[in-house]
Amino acid sequence: MIKFEGVVKTYPNGVQALKGVDLSIEQGEFVCIIGLSGAGKSTLLRSINQMHQITGGKLTVDDVDVSTLKGKELRRFRRNIGMVFQSFNLVKRTTVIKNVLAARVADMPLWKSLLGLYAKQDKIIALEALDQVGILEKAYSRADQLSGGQQQRVALARTVAQQPKIILADEPVASLDPVTSQQVMSDFVKINKTLNITVIANMHHVDIALKYANRIIGVKEGKIVFDGPSLKVTNDILKEIYGRELSDDDLMGA
Amino acid sequence: MDKIKKFFLPKPIILSNGKVVQPAMSPMVYVIPILLVMFFYSTSLTGFALGTLINRGSRFFDILVKMFPPNFGYFTKVWTPMVVTLVMSIVGTLAGAAFSIPAAYLSSENMVKSPLLKFIVRSIMSVLRTIPLLVLVILFLNMFGAGAFTGMISLGVFTFTIMTKMFYELIDTCDMGPFEAIESSGASRVKAFWTGIMPQLWGQYISILLYNFEMNIRNAAILGYVGAGGIGILLNDRLGWRAYPEVAMILLVLMLSVYLIESLSRYIRKRLL
Repeated sequence: MIKFEGVVKTYPNGVQALKGVDLSIEQGEFVCIIGLSGAGKSTLLRSINQMHQITGGKLTVDDVDVSTLKGKELRRFRRNIGMVFQSFNLVKRTTVIKNVLAARVADMPLWKSLLGLYAKQDKIIALEALDQVGILEKAYSRADQLSGGQQQRVALARTVAQQPKIILADEPVASLDPVTSQQVMSDFVKINKTLNITVIANMHHVDIALKYANRIIGVKEGKIVFDGPSLKVTNDILKEIYGRELSDDDLMGA
Repeated sequence: MDKIKKFFLPKPIILSNGKVVQPAMSPMVYVIPILLVMFFYSTSLTGFALGTLINRGSRFFDILVKMFPPNFGYFTKVWTPMVVTLVMSIVGTLAGAAFSIPAAYLSSENMVKSPLLKFIVRSIMSVLRTIPLLVLVILFLNMFGAGAFTGMISLGVFTFTIMTKMFYELIDTCDMGPFEAIESSGASRVKAFWTGIMPQLWGQYISILLYNFEMNIRNAAILGYVGAGGIGILLNDRLGWRAYPEVAMILLVLMLSVYLIESLSRYIRKRLL
């Protein structure tokens, strides 16, 4: 369980991205966070795995106070949390399988990772992860030969190969076309259901968020202004989150 | 003053609708005088005289003429020192290149968080880089004595300083996305660098390695002059005896080797990038 208690994040330049966030997310939930750019969605997400350090309040994951973690402990903690990015963050000049295997280096001795000596078991984990997102046959292609949707699937497979309890997805479909977006979101749902991995995704497109998530969190100016099941999201609530009516441009046609 | 300005300004352009556009003054207005002043100052500083070039220009070819015909039979004697020179450059380049990876990691803007550590490493590297290769050889001669090993170590250190700088500039500008992804999975920064950054840079790394190797072969040929082994010793000796046909043979072998290696290296680099 992830628990935010009055979490505050102030950046060194004085910008307050989170202004006292209270939130708890159970294991296995599928949550989408919506809100305007700059509302604090990314900061909220990245505070969970401490890619951004919080500056106030308390944030616990399975009863571990994450802000006290440092060095080795922090790295061990991060192994349970996978992350998917808007720009995929793959090494484009290398093969798909090597990108997925990168998720295994955290658990390997340094010398083995320097020599690239992956255990057979790691290769099987990586290939099974690729199979789960349906691109097993691309395992030995170079990542830059794949389409955007396929690249995001590789990134998802990399995260699955990490065998995490939680997946954080920062705008996972924002750079994909509508059809591909839906396919990638379906992969997220499948992984959420079959592996009981908590998925927390920042979403740009409201209709896709509403379609795939069980729970919606609306963020505005560093505060949570809505938290509830996606079925209960009304136009008034969206107006409150975004400060105006949504037009067709804000929707993807899901 | 205004009149001078007007003299240098290009003529205004008049459009068909009557609008007038004044083009900006060409920077050549001050660049050319500066270049001229620098040119005349440097000719007097270096003692250059056009008269010498005309009167004694043919002297340049005196020795070249004496080199013909080259003593082809001498090849058997040139062959071994040439191989020594090549080995010296290969091993020196590889050793320097290997050590340049950790040094570049420690000097790069985006890998090292501590500004103090980065400052210390960069300062040491800058100081090392200012030592001319010939001075390095003389310093190592005292340690290891004359021979190919001294040449190898000197070339290694020299390559190390240059490649570290070239390589950390590459690290500074590479895509940090994979690094962030791997670090977020709980890997240390060194592991994230090795699996997220290095695969992006291997091609460019090999390319700068080959560039340094080409440079080192030419350097290695001279190093023999100060006692670092290889073909330079032979060249020095034959020149001293004025055995010009043999000198010619040495130069031919050297030119051919450098040409072959540069062509090969250019071919590989083209395939890499």
